[in-house]
Amino acid sequence: MTRTLVRWVVVAAVALAALAAGIYVSRTGSSNAPVGALLDLALPDIDGHDQRLDQWKGKVLVVNFWATWCEPCRKEMPDFVKAQAEFGGKGLQFVGIAIDQPDKIRQFSKDLKLNYPSLVGGYGALELSKAFGNQLMALPFTLVLDRNGHVAYAQMGPLKPGNLDAIVGKLL
Amino acid sequence: MACVPISTGLTPKPLRPERSLWSRRGLVAAALFGPVTMAAAAAGAELLPAEQAFRFSARALDDHTLEARFTIADGYYLYRDKFKFAVTPDGAALGAPELPAGKIKTDEFFGKVETYRGTVAVKLPLSGAAAGQTLVLTADSQGCADVGVCYPPTRQRLTLALPAYGAGPGPVVDATPSRKNWFK
Repeated sequence: MTRTLVRWVVVAAVALAALAAGIYVSRTGSSNAPVGALLDLALPDIDGHDQRLDQWKGKVLVVNFWATWCEPCRKEMPDFVKAQAEFGGKGLQFVGIAIDQPDKIRQFSKDLKLNYPSLVGGYGALELSKAFGNQLMALPFTLVLDRNGHVAYAQMGPLKPGNLDAIVGKLL
Repeated sequence: MACVPISTGLTPKPLRPERSLWSRRGLVAAALFGPVTMAAAAAGAELLPAEQAFRFSARALDDHTLEARFTIADGYYLYRDKFKFAVTPDGAALGAPELPAGKIKTDEFFGKVETYRGTVAVKLPLSGAAAGQTLVLTADSQGCADVGVCYPPTRQRLTLALPAYGAGPGPVVDATPSRKNWFK
């Protein structure tokens, strides 16, 4: 009788442990899914060549959703150019995803002397930002991934230069 | 006064039904990423959805004139050159919208641009429609918030009936949220 009871207790404990492990794996897997979808993305650059975001795995990746028709977006981008120039050698990589027309992106990139790639996205790309908290799909929206591909920071609206340095400084 | 168009090259999104800023997906994202995305979610919670920031309504002044109206929330503005209007069914057609002058500002990239705040009323000449007929009016608009974010081009629509001949202007009709997925 006692042996049967012990057996059932063991079975129940194993079942509970399996359930907990399942939940843990499920949650862990889910939490990586939006990042995975983002890194799996292949978008054309301004020359029409597809670029996969996972080519920058292992770097501190700053993904900035923007558009030329978004004045606040354009205003913060010179700070990104400076940060890319200053910290690029230490493993910082900016990538723009522009919700815009290629000719507009090309012209603005040239005007600003953009020193990092800006890819041509559409609403589908912008939709991805919802999974990171950008429910209104507003611009600008900036996402910082650490070297392991984990979300370190996400912000809707312009980043203050001091904040940007502080955020990426900890990760480099 | 020349006004440089700001083209996004995008088809505006039809609006989804009004809902809480904290949608189920947003809550899931916040739960999964914890404090990391809370900054973004909190920023979003202070912003109105586009359909609330830029409320669209319209009325028929008579059987050949519609009046579209946008009520813009404080702290938000719309671009004058981003409006587009269309009407269905086929056979009815709109002439050039009569847009009032906006506030002019100089944009470093686009030059002079005009914006609206508060309320803007746009007269739309209508042809090919009969008194008493029901029409669907679609309006595309694009705007930003002073806090430093811009919304993608937004599509709103409403259904209104033209007044009977000689009956005077019809009632003001508010936009009806669309359930259509705007990616399809």
